[in-house]
Amino acid sequence: MNYKLLHIFRNTPFGRETFLQSLYFCKTINAYPVVYIPKSDKFLLYFSNDAVQVDLDHSYLNMPETAKERVEQLFEEVGLKPRYYEPKNYTASTLPDISTNFDYLCSPRSVSDLSSKIGLGHIGPKVRRIIKHATFPVLITSPVFKSWKSISVFFGGSENAMNALTLGLKTAMASGLPLNIYTLLEKKGEQDYRELIKKNNLESLVNQYSQQWYFYNKPEFETMLYEVPHDSLIVLGAYGHGVIKEILLGSKMERIQSTMTNNLLVTGPHCKISLQ
Amino acid sequence: MFIIKNRYITIYHRLFHLDDRLLLIVAGSIAGICSGLAAVALRLSLESVLEWLHPLRHYWWAFTLPAIGALLSSLYLEKITREGAGHGVPEVIYSVSRYGGLLRFRSSYSRLISSFLTIGSGGSAGPEAPVVMSGSAIGSNIAKFLGLNDRQRITLVGCGTAGAIASIFNAPIAGLVFSIEVLLGEWKFVNIIPIAIAAVAGAQVSQAIIPEQVLFIHQPFDIMFADIPASLGLAILTALVSVLFTKSLRQVGNLAKKNSLPLWGRAIIGGSCVGLIGISMPLVLGEGYHFIQSMISETFSMGIFLTFVAIFAKIFATAMTLGWGGSGGIFAPCLLIGSLTGIVFHKTLLLFFPSVGCASQGAYALLGMTGLISGVMQAPLTGIFLIVEITGGYEAILPLILVSSISSTMSQYLEPASFYFKELMERGQFMRPGTDARILSDLSLKELIDINYVKVSENMVFRDFINILKRSEQNLFPVIEDETRVYKGVIQISVIRKYALDPDMYDMVFLNQIMDTEVITVSLEDDLQDVLDMMDSHNMDNIPVVENERFIGMIAKTKILDLYRRELIVQTDIK
Repeated sequence: MNYKLLHIFRNTPFGRETFLQSLYFCKTINAYPVVYIPKSDKFLLYFSNDAVQVDLDHSYLNMPETAKERVEQLFEEVGLKPRYYEPKNYTASTLPDISTNFDYLCSPRSVSDLSSKIGLGHIGPKVRRIIKHATFPVLITSPVFKSWKSISVFFGGSENAMNALTLGLKTAMASGLPLNIYTLLEKKGEQDYRELIKKNNLESLVNQYSQQWYFYNKPEFETMLYEVPHDSLIVLGAYGHGVIKEILLGSKMERIQSTMTNNLLVTGPHCKISLQ
Repeated sequence: MFIIKNRYITIYHRLFHLDDRLLLIVAGSIAGICSGLAAVALRLSLESVLEWLHPLRHYWWAFTLPAIGALLSSLYLEKITREGAGHGVPEVIYSVSRYGGLLRFRSSYSRLISSFLTIGSGGSAGPEAPVVMSGSAIGSNIAKFLGLNDRQRITLVGCGTAGAIASIFNAPIAGLVFSIEVLLGEWKFVNIIPIAIAAVAGAQVSQAIIPEQVLFIHQPFDIMFADIPASLGLAILTALVSVLFTKSLRQVGNLAKKNSLPLWGRAIIGGSCVGLIGISMPLVLGEGYHFIQSMISETFSMGIFLTFVAIFAKIFATAMTLGWGGSGGIFAPCLLIGSLTGIVFHKTLLLFFPSVGCASQGAYALLGMTGLISGVMQAPLTGIFLIVEITGGYEAILPLILVSSISSTMSQYLEPASFYFKELMERGQFMRPGTDARILSDLSLKELIDINYVKVSENMVFRDFINILKRSEQNLFPVIEDETRVYKGVIQISVIRKYALDPDMYDMVFLNQIMDTEVITVSLEDDLQDVLDMMDSHNMDNIPVVENERFIGMIAKTKILDLYRRELIVQTDIK
């Protein structure tokens, strides 16, 4: 594979954990990480229909003289070649434009929530906007490094969920790790979901790579979350519904995000995953 | 819910998707109204705070007021909205030229508040650039909400700008011209109508809310024969002052950047300097509209020497405000410096030729304003139409055109980039529509790469390669390592001809012995302009794209030219 993940490095023990997680992710799926060591506390991501300013906290600018050395040390530990990203364009002198020409982005944790929590916590508006507009999946790492031994896809049948399933399959194929699918039965039955997979020509791949497909009834949502192994990479689609529905019903992704401690790989509505 | 959604989609498609122009006109008017409201809000709040602070100006400590304002403004921008100081117009131009006018929502209010703090406390700056920034961001975010494409979004950015300028000066044509001349850089029929309507909407908002408060009340004046040659002299003088003003702003700003003080510290120093100058020369404080009005209406009583000194004081005060951490624009300072220059010129003219029959002092103040706007912004039409609209007539059109065109031409000769464009030009990011740089920046390397290239193994024997060659039309063959798939080099047909013509060599040579490892490669992150430069300097027609040591594909010069042509057609509407 020739996929690249952008990681925004924070030169703190907490930043090391998220970077280790990015390195592990890349090593497992055979992608390569590209590290951006920020020189200012903000940057801009220009998507096709939005410009998202990511405001970093000052810990990202911590000890700039040792940042590169530490990054290289961690690269060396996992046996990967260091690669760096240097912004070429600047919207303002202290506001670099970061390319969105990546295959994955590791979300800078400080924009999603306070680092003091054990769980992933509530997602912040910036990460939400990144996911909504990104054409690539966003990796939201657990606060402390943990390796994962399986891939769990939350599949609800929507177009976005189909994307997530494709991404889960792609990750399973690249990593060789077992894939499990979790579906909460809402309006449809088990057979409907299987038909949906068939219609999208994913049946044979699902049969080949998935270990188990679990179905739960609507009230069993919390049970479903508990039964997902703690050492599994969760893959899910987010923000596929309209604004009104999201305000009224809330985002399922955010409910999962605020409950789980796993690493999350999220695909947004503009993210198109191809198995090629 | 489903029925409502379907009805909405049907109405939306029937109304707007049939005619793209209707959508732009409706959205543009909304942008014009919103930006007009923003401009009125800033103007009224500035008037109130300046009036409220006026009695305090007599105290000895009054010099600290601009420092406090600049401090609050810099803290607000740096800590709360996390934006840079300054006026923001280059940011809008940059966004229009590179990212289809995408602007952050926070820009629609951040500069309004920061410039209110800076100017309201007495900082020497104008409110026009902040309202331009705000109007542009409003237009951009309306386009984002409606899910419009890049070209439509750029038009709405122009609509927001036009509405803001039209509202603040009550001059819709000046708003339209400024938006197209300075921001968009292209006069297209599809842009002009929505922007014109937005400008009118902006001006109407201003008239509806504050009908009695026309910014500049003009006096009718007569232009005489002597004013024509005098205009030439004034044009030269305003060009020189424009260049001095532009250079001072840049140099004072650069000096501040070299300083290790935090932004708020610099803002205090800059604000204090302005406050100190303001004690002896109050006209440097704030946006200066009141003094401009007194010069136009000929109630300005300062002597020639003091007026001359005031030009430099205002230039220095503006440079200290904007360069050292304050927030605001240069439009109002240009108007004030221009009118001061006009007054100095008029007084000098009368000093040397007391009996000459020429127009009034107010007329020269207006001509000076045109000269400065045209010189500093290098936007002659904006200068002409702004004054035409302020004076409400075409009596002065001939000297206006003379002053404006000579001043902009001469200042462009002395200082090739206008104040708004200079920073972008230095960064190599000034890209006007239809230019090479803009077209190339709109093409991505990904759409140019030919990924269907046959790759060959470095351990392949030459005979096998000849068999591949017979079936292929490629002139270049990327060579990769068997196990790791790492890119090693290329086989160039022109180079290996001698082996191909000698069948005895077919089983003796391996590709890793004859491949060219020195061929320059590019990555997906490279700019197309750089790729083209590399191809030109190395005389290459095809260049390999290598990422993470893997061969991705090949870029051909013919493909670049083909896509360049298509993009040019899209950007210029030439078929």
